[in-house]
Amino acid sequence: MAYKTRYFNQASAFLIIFLFLFSCFFSCSSKLDRDILKIGISEEPETLNIWLASDTNSRKILSLVYQNLYIRDPETLKLIPWLAKADPLYDPEDLSYTVKLRNVKWSDGSDLTADDVVFTVNLIKQFKVPQYISKWRFVKKIEAVDKRTVKFYLSKPKAIFLTRSLGIPIVSKKEWSLVVKKALSKKKSYKALINHKIENPLGCGPFVLKERRCGAYIFFEKNRFFFGKGKTIKGRKLGPYIDKLLFKVYRSADVAILALKKGSIDYYWACIQPGHVDGLSRDQNIKVFVSKKSAFYYMGFNLRKTPFSDPYLRRAIAVLIDKKFIVSRILQGFATEMSSVVPKGNEFWHNPDLPMYGAGLTRDERIQRAYKLLALRGYSWEIPPVNDKKEVVSPSTIRLLDGKPMEEFTILTPPAGYDPHRAACGTIIQEWLKDLGLPVTSRPMSFGALLDKVKARHDFDTFILGYGMLSLDPDYLRSFFYSKNNRTRGWNMSGYNNKEFDKLADASLAEMNNDKRRQLIWEMQSVLLNDIPYFPLYNPTLIEAVNNKNFTGWVKMVGGIGNIWSLCSVKPAQGTSKK
Amino acid sequence: MDIKSFFIKRSVEIIVIFFIMMTILFLLFHFAPGDPVSMMVDPSMTSEDAQYMISQLGLDKPLLTQYLVYLKNFFQGNLGNSFYYGEPVIGIIGNRLPNTILLFTTSIIISAFAGVFLGKIAAWHKGEKIDTFGTIAALVCHTLFLPWTALIIIWVFGYKTGLFPLGGMLTPELWINPETNFLIKGIDIIYHMTLPLFTLCIIHFGSYMLIMRSSMLDVMGEDYILTAKAKGVSDKCICNHHIAPNASLPVVTSIGLSLAFSVNGGALTEIIFSWPGLGRELIFAVTNNDYPLALASFLFIAIVVLIANFIVDILYTYLDPRIKY
Repeated sequence: MAYKTRYFNQASAFLIIFLFLFSCFFSCSSKLDRDILKIGISEEPETLNIWLASDTNSRKILSLVYQNLYIRDPETLKLIPWLAKADPLYDPEDLSYTVKLRNVKWSDGSDLTADDVVFTVNLIKQFKVPQYISKWRFVKKIEAVDKRTVKFYLSKPKAIFLTRSLGIPIVSKKEWSLVVKKALSKKKSYKALINHKIENPLGCGPFVLKERRCGAYIFFEKNRFFFGKGKTIKGRKLGPYIDKLLFKVYRSADVAILALKKGSIDYYWACIQPGHVDGLSRDQNIKVFVSKKSAFYYMGFNLRKTPFSDPYLRRAIAVLIDKKFIVSRILQGFATEMSSVVPKGNEFWHNPDLPMYGAGLTRDERIQRAYKLLALRGYSWEIPPVNDKKEVVSPSTIRLLDGKPMEEFTILTPPAGYDPHRAACGTIIQEWLKDLGLPVTSRPMSFGALLDKVKARHDFDTFILGYGMLSLDPDYLRSFFYSKNNRTRGWNMSGYNNKEFDKLADASLAEMNNDKRRQLIWEMQSVLLNDIPYFPLYNPTLIEAVNNKNFTGWVKMVGGIGNIWSLCSVKPAQGTSKK
Repeated sequence: MDIKSFFIKRSVEIIVIFFIMMTILFLLFHFAPGDPVSMMVDPSMTSEDAQYMISQLGLDKPLLTQYLVYLKNFFQGNLGNSFYYGEPVIGIIGNRLPNTILLFTTSIIISAFAGVFLGKIAAWHKGEKIDTFGTIAALVCHTLFLPWTALIIIWVFGYKTGLFPLGGMLTPELWINPETNFLIKGIDIIYHMTLPLFTLCIIHFGSYMLIMRSSMLDVMGEDYILTAKAKGVSDKCICNHHIAPNASLPVVTSIGLSLAFSVNGGALTEIIFSWPGLGRELIFAVTNNDYPLALASFLFIAIVVLIANFIVDILYTYLDPRIKY
């Protein structure tokens, strides 16, 4: 039919013109400014309001804008002065710390003064900003001694003041004072504060936000007033050496990796799954960074419930869990086994001398040891997992201390779509526990529902969860296991209650001498590994990749190369700059 | 019933259904496990701090009070602020909706035209090679797994050949350049739209084609078609003027509903192509218990679907004069 041929020809011609035009367009657009450092992020930041920001991407973006008084040295991980000029001076007489500030300017050219620091802390206290207030409750007064000196008065000695409290980002009084005034006049002042929309945050970091297009990009330019420019801090001469910085959103990790290989982005600021490493390593323009992470993935027990309240049962479960298998097979070697609640990489605080349940044993030996532990305690089986000839056999359901068969229980895990590793851990641990006659089912559920069951309602048996970004100060031990935190929405999700531990936790919080505090923290870890409210499983390593065709000079530290040091050090690769 | 009475009756029905939906949605979200504060996994936040946050967000009040407050705010045109974005949800939806409409509505229109056109040809040539090939192609496309198809298309056209961008809605490097004019920006959006549009059309055209083909075959067996043939009416005229209009009712229903549901976008497509639309926000709001954003998004979809149904009902009376309300 003639009309069909006509349609076909028209459609073909249209398609060819369309492809030609777009190919031309693409070749033009791909030659765009190579001096822009392009970073891919997995989601767009939810907000630029620092007091609301709780998601990773908002924090990443805001870390380039708002700066802290002290930050971590990338190599030693010790706190070093950043906005502050020197280490704080402690006066035990009046329990005060004096901090002197550098000559720092906000990105609009005005001075950052002691008033800004006082304003920031007062804002946190006035609005009880939930993310920060717990670090400032014990500070009874703060005053600006002069333009560049701030004095903090503590109500009692607190070890976390240096490591946690002084790590807050400082905001500009000029930017926030009106917002604060307006918010305070409202009935729900904190709500009013977090609902204030910030378009262009005023900071003092190395970059200034120029433009944000929702869902597409965030564009920064170099802050010409950045205090670190040209300064050498801890042996690093700071830039920034790049004029423009562009964040692009790639919601699919697979597509982001293609973009990295293609050169559409220079760095993908998110954790890459181990499966991509081989493919990336084969590309000569790509450099893969594997960094330590201050993270902690564990199995938790509900100590409020029988039989999980019995430490012997928890120890037997610990013996059955083969962490080496989890790390080598499930995480493909991109993790370290955890022997304590404090990660190994946190060398100063990590206690290396802790019981290693079942380490080095074969599967049968693990079953035999766990069986022995429980049999001695008084647990029984109709068909025990180990027969008279000491051979491992398929057991009947375990009988508890009262002689009744144990009821079916669950291991709650996040779904595979959220975290495939934790979901797989749940499945494999389920199989290992069945070898001892423990009637268990691994049950992945949505993350929100899981947290609701575990944290808010305490309606669970066991669970597998983790913290991806633990602070380097191990004060979280107190949050996780202090008996007073065993309440709805409290962090003591296991319901752990040990007076000895509480005493150590209190002492560690008040101890100002780091070496003495370390001893206490070590003892706390020892108590925890003996009682096992949480059984530490693994600490994943952070895999990141950069395309080093256009830029080099990334700084690796705990938590990866996405840090302020990198962005102050990255330089255009030789021969790529237009200048 | 005349059209005026029908209009009034359906409008009342729509309003009642809307409020029932609103109540159900409100209850569903508030009974779903978890709350936005539980999702904030910051170990330094104590249970008192969490409780304080809950009270500030108004989630500590009894459910009935929360519902009444919601209704009151709704009638004042205030659908609340997102718990995570801290912005009015109307603004968030308003930001994303045009992007979603642009991509998904365009894809439905193109795939519907292609599907109807090819379905018509396939039915007219029933049993011939063109019908067999077309039907198989439609079935294959209809059953394709979207994420896989999308990734393959990105890999081939975006990465290997480099003809199209890998994702996003625009080229940031172009947009940050103050010299870029409006025309270039427009072309840039179309350029970025090509791959997701192509993917969606491939996935969707099959269903329209199959519906049109089967509907055409039904009509082709009718006596009046035989009469038309006996009268010597040309094939083209029978196909285009006798069969196609009568076969279009089910297709119109399908297109109408698809257009209505297109406002919720497709989370998977938006995620893979990094398209800043409403679908991804909807998923985010539901999984993170962002009640105001989730409620507003669903209510918006409900309104559009109800109105689209209404329009389809009216269209029926024009397409088939035998239909009376």
